Amino acid sequence: MSETQSAPLAPTGNPKVSRRPPGALRTGWKKFSSNKLAVVGLIVLVFFVLVAALAPWLTPYKPDRIDMMFPNLKPGTGNHLLGTDELGRDIFARLLFSSRVSLLVGFSVAVATVMIGTFIGAVSGYFGGWADTIFMRLVDVMNSIPLLFLNILVLAIFDPKFIYMILILTFTGWMGVARLVRGSYLQLREMQYVEAAQAIGVSSWGIIIRHLLRNATAPIIVNATLMVGSAILSESALSYLGMGVQPPQTSWGQMLSNAQEFMLIDPLQAVYPGLCILIVVLAVNFIGDGLRDAMDPRKKAMMSPRRLDQWRKSFSKSKI
Amino acid sequence: MTEYLIRRTLQSVLVLFLISVVAFLLIHAAPGGPKSIMMSPRVSPEVAKIQERNLGLDQPVPIQYVKWLGNMLQGDLGNTFKNNIPVGEIMWPTVKNTLVLMAAAWIVSLIIAIPWGIYNSTREYGLSDQTASFISYIGFAMPSFWFGIILQEIFALKLGWLPLSDMYKLGNEGDIGDLLLHLIMPVSVLSLGFLASYMKYARSSMLEVLDQDYIRTARAKGLKERRVVFRHALRNALIPIITILGLDLPILVSGAALTERVFNWPGMGRLFVESAGQREYSMLMAITLVTALFVVVGNLVADILYAIVDPRVKLGKKGGVSA
Amino acid sequence: MAQELLEIKDLTVGFLTEKGFVRATDRISLSLPKGQTLCVVGESGSGKSVASLAVMRLIDYAGGVIAEGEVHFQGQDLTVKSQEEMRRIRGNKITMVFQDPMSALNPVFTVGEQIAESLRLHKQLSAGAAWSRVIDMLRLVGIPDPEVRARQYPHEMSGGMCQRVVIAMALACDPELVIADEPTTALDVTVQAQILELMQKLKREMGMSILLITHDMGVAAEMADRIAVMYAGVIVEEGTAEDIFERSRHPYTHGLLKSIPGLSGERGTELYAIQGNIPRLGELPAGCRFSPRCPFAAERCFREEPPLLPTPDGHRSACWLESGPEVKTS
Repeated sequence: MSETQSAPLAPTGNPKVSRRPPGALRTGWKKFSSNKLAVVGLIVLVFFVLVAALAPWLTPYKPDRIDMMFPNLKPGTGNHLLGTDELGRDIFARLLFSSRVSLLVGFSVAVATVMIGTFIGAVSGYFGGWADTIFMRLVDVMNSIPLLFLNILVLAIFDPKFIYMILILTFTGWMGVARLVRGSYLQLREMQYVEAAQAIGVSSWGIIIRHLLRNATAPIIVNATLMVGSAILSESALSYLGMGVQPPQTSWGQMLSNAQEFMLIDPLQAVYPGLCILIVVLAVNFIGDGLRDAMDPRKKAMMSPRRLDQWRKSFSKSKI
Repeated sequence: MTEYLIRRTLQSVLVLFLISVVAFLLIHAAPGGPKSIMMSPRVSPEVAKIQERNLGLDQPVPIQYVKWLGNMLQGDLGNTFKNNIPVGEIMWPTVKNTLVLMAAAWIVSLIIAIPWGIYNSTREYGLSDQTASFISYIGFAMPSFWFGIILQEIFALKLGWLPLSDMYKLGNEGDIGDLLLHLIMPVSVLSLGFLASYMKYARSSMLEVLDQDYIRTARAKGLKERRVVFRHALRNALIPIITILGLDLPILVSGAALTERVFNWPGMGRLFVESAGQREYSMLMAITLVTALFVVVGNLVADILYAIVDPRVKLGKKGGVSA
Repeated sequence: MAQELLEIKDLTVGFLTEKGFVRATDRISLSLPKGQTLCVVGESGSGKSVASLAVMRLIDYAGGVIAEGEVHFQGQDLTVKSQEEMRRIRGNKITMVFQDPMSALNPVFTVGEQIAESLRLHKQLSAGAAWSRVIDMLRLVGIPDPEVRARQYPHEMSGGMCQRVVIAMALACDPELVIADEPTTALDVTVQAQILELMQKLKREMGMSILLITHDMGVAAEMADRIAVMYAGVIVEEGTAEDIFERSRHPYTHGLLKSIPGLSGERGTELYAIQGNIPRLGELPAGCRFSPRCPFAAERCFREEPPLLPTPDGHRSACWLESGPEVKTS
């Protein structure tokens, strides 16, 4: 049928020689950078990363130095920018150093879940059969357990150590990526070029890796970004419940647990760490959404109904 | 339909069984498991042996599991080793309290989120849609327990309008009005996240359905737009929402635990966190199983609803919710 | 000439895209006499479906607008009617048959319910009367066991069955005009012929007119009294079926005809294919829209757009060529 033909333009036709399309990376960046929220998110995240890296140089105080001479100082007293807590520790210093914990947990869990999830998803999707059945049942089971309970259970049994927390958050976070990668492979298996590749002797792993890089990278990156946010939230929840970061280390969640105990004395203490979590997670989610939109070719133009109606009125001759 | 239900029920039982095995292994095979807790390091090895035998800890783990499972099925959840009180005696009242909290939060978030999301799908990117989107962003990024603390500081400490924590004022147990007053803040905290996600689901599900050919057919029949949206679109849009309601139950349970901790709500989640701190293993196992049971039954109910709303399920053509 | 049931004048339908206002149809004019079948033929992207949705005023829901032109149906201009007024016409006097019957039927209602819905709405029938009419209609479109089938869901039926249901739905209210948008494209070849035959039969029995949208010249050959060939938003040639098949003057029509297997050319000759692709919305070439793909394009074709003018034998064609492409081929 004529409409399925896609032969090149006739020589008599359009004299314009088709230009090479700009690279996917560049168009992606262009779309991303036109998304204001995503750019703000990126700036905020970079700011927090810098703060975390430079924490010791940004404050003269150590976050864990107890000074019982000056507990519960008001903000601005002495050199304490945000005052001190019930043990005389400098709140500003604690906030700075806590950002290290949150970002470390967020990024390491995101990277680890992507690796595990990708591996499981690829094996499951590409080989199918019993491997697929087992992994997908595992995903079902994992998804029907309240994961916070599982985290608490494991941390209670194995002691709440920092590295255990990262491990358990990884162990309970890989399912999303696995599903995604598996879905991508189910499509791959249908494609004929796999058979072609196998016929000329490319190994299974060769096919898996090449295909993954080409087709699943974008959604995986988006998923990983959103994972950073959810890992930070999980860490703060566990630390708030006393199952996460333990003193003398400090984290925003742990600070909140303290702050709630002393909220009658100093209600502001509870505000800062929570705001920090909110801002960082918001920033990460904005970036994730920006990435998703940048990589989605079907993205619709955003237009408010009022503009749309105005536009319709100006062009339409009919009553609507 | 019957066949579908039987298959789903069997699957649920299997999931429950797997969860119980995993939880049991975690607790009994772990280095910090019951042995290290129940045995004081000061007792002599001989006494320790006798104690182990009395507790059945000298037997192989599979046998211990079967014995434990047998006890469970007979309703014997074991005793706490701190005070040797039956676990059930402590746990069941907290389960009830948690259900009250979860049900309230769930209903509130559904009542607000579904109609709002549907409305927004018909006015994409309007003021209401933008507001909802803002709330979603906040709801997804805010630590719920922090929101709770802030609410406490404002409405309980500063303004004094609402009770700071607990389920009833001392001596008011069973007073519904008092309960409702105590519910306001925890429910706000717990429902915010669900409000955000259900609103998004409802909106996107509705948008997808409104784009379908059969909606165009309905309009081509000359139906009123209201009938197109509420009869032809809504029923189709509800199908994926029902599935997601079931799949979100574990998150609801986790969220309830955090909320209970913030507001000192005498629920199962708070009990779980406390038991974890004290390593009350029988209690941890019992609560794990109760929550798993709750989630699995909830999923089953969601699937039954799904089958009622979607006629395609009857032939068993649906490939399972998650596979 | 018979009385015109539907007359489209200078209809321009557009969409707003990132490039601004884009015309999907550009001042097209068509007329459909009562009791006849008009086929609008063209590749996908030619604007033929958009035009049919504009007649129904369903284009309002698809993000498009009617920017200019008139659509006269039984002497009334549909483009100035409100949606409320259109609702009384849609599904009653003008009905539609869509391309993919499986997705055109709502999966959560039985087919009987879906047919009865328009009857109850437009004919104010009681539930019982509507149901017996549903059974009659299903029998009419050749569905066996209509009492049983009416209580089934779309997924329990084959594609061909579903299309019969959609046709029954379109005919239930005894419409004046049925718009069929690629009614056979999604079906198996054997089923396609059955559905076309059914539509012919029903048209004879019920006396309605058909506006048939298709990309398939073969379908047009079987069904059409009149044919309009659309390309990139404009009508390039229009006339009776005989005019188009015997005396086509436009190179595009000619290309379409040559690409039908077994209709032109001897057995064994290579099947003809028009080079290139239809231009995308908002990326029209200068001059004649077909010029980049036209084997006969002359210098003037790249500069000026040809108007749709009467040919010596009385049909209309939009081409600068003095005579038909046949002469030029040598």
